[in-house]
Amino acid sequence: MPAPGSYRSCIVAGTVASAVLGALGFSTIGYGAAVVGESRKVEITQKAPSGIDALKAQYRRPASIPFPKDNPYTPEKAALGKKLYFDTRLSVTSAQSCASCHSPGFGWGDGLAVGVGHGMAKLGRHSPTIVNAAWSAIFMWDGRLPTLEDQALGPIQSPGEMNMKLDDLMARLASIPEYKPMFEASFPGQGIKAKTLAQAIATYERTVVSERAPFDVWIEGNEKAISEQAKRGFAVFNGKAQCAACHEGWNFTNEGFQDIGLPSSDIGRGEYLPAVIKMQHAFKTPGLREINRRSPFMHDGSLATLEAVIDHYDHGGVDRPSRSDLMRPLGLTAQEKAELVAFLKTLTSDLEPTAVPVLPR
Amino acid sequence: MRTIALFTCVIVAGFSVGAYAATEVIHQQGRVFSAESVSIKKGDAVTFLNDDSVPHNIMSATKGNEFNLGSQAPGTSTDVTFKEAGDVQVICAIHPRMKMMVKVTD
Ligand SMILES: [Cu+2]
Repeated sequence: MPAPGSYRSCIVAGTVASAVLGALGFSTIGYGAAVVGESRKVEITQKAPSGIDALKAQYRRPASIPFPKDNPYTPEKAALGKKLYFDTRLSVTSAQSCASCHSPGFGWGDGLAVGVGHGMAKLGRHSPTIVNAAWSAIFMWDGRLPTLEDQALGPIQSPGEMNMKLDDLMARLASIPEYKPMFEASFPGQGIKAKTLAQAIATYERTVVSERAPFDVWIEGNEKAISEQAKRGFAVFNGKAQCAACHEGWNFTNEGFQDIGLPSSDIGRGEYLPAVIKMQHAFKTPGLREINRRSPFMHDGSLATLEAVIDHYDHGGVDRPSRSDLMRPLGLTAQEKAELVAFLKTLTSDLEPTAVPVLPR
Repeated sequence: MRTIALFTCVIVAGFSVGAYAATEVIHQQGRVFSAESVSIKKGDAVTFLNDDSVPHNIMSATKGNEFNLGSQAPGTSTDVTFKEAGDVQVICAIHPRMKMMVKVTD
């Protein structure tokens, strides 16, 4: 497969007059299914950003946090959600909170290779950061939950994680007198329910946003904000290394699912799309904000350093049918790798300390 | 030589049939479908053209109109003919923000 960059110089001759280079597909004629015809090679143009300024514009921070229409922001809800997020009584043992695995001390992850759940048992995957979750289109490494509200209830109930039945949790929260007025202020007349609990936690989580990093200051026009080495790293990131094919935009992810060739037996997204080859071993592309507070890396926490991550991509990983067509040996030089690391380090902000809330009794 | 001639014949035929039947072309540039929804008649085709810089995996799990294009490389165009009337939810398996509806009428 030619490098995507090579399409950029193509001239459009129009779809109708496009060159037919070969039939790639096959016809699947079956009862009760749409019929897929032959695939054709077509010359295309890419609307590639012209110049560094257009490229930089694609990385500008948004001005405000998006909240869904059916769960708008209120300060009361966010304050309640913060207490719930840090409250260990949401787990059956009263020993683990959301913050146990998604801690502000570790870039809103846990600093471990894989999470630790109920009974201190290791989980199968790395605890993802919740930074910038407000912008996510789909949740969990395997995309099994569609909203942050659904996500909030997932680990609470999961037997391997907080192991708490929702009915039991509602009874426990109702027995803590100071919670009642807070729920009432946030959700008048609705009371303590799974729905209001999830909405409060999700609202708080949406307020957890990476702060302005040196990269943002550079994007806004201050050339001194990052080093020349990091600027060259940004060029490699968007060019030769093709990182931006998946890690795109200000939060450095398009939320896509890709098998990046890690030698793990976990099929990830493939569990939900078993017939789709490219979804086997595919995991959601994480954003890269606060990245050097979030090691170890990858869905299985298997790579300890950014250098190891870049070496993995440079190598291309395990070549198997499910591996993304974007994965292939990159031929990066030692200098380019160092430039990429320098660039990635500019994505970490001076996160202000997060005060642990005083919890209701 | 004969093989080559036959091959050319087959692909030209395939191309012209596709071009005739496909009334709607859906582009994918910038990781978005060029239309949120299209309406077609039963038996007509929609052309999914990957004019983006990355592969896509266009598919549908809607009953009666299931299909899966697999990994569609940039610069590839594929026709899909819809056989059953109804609303067909088309997604990209890779990019969760890519969703559209093909409304197939009798
Ligand atoms: Cu896609």
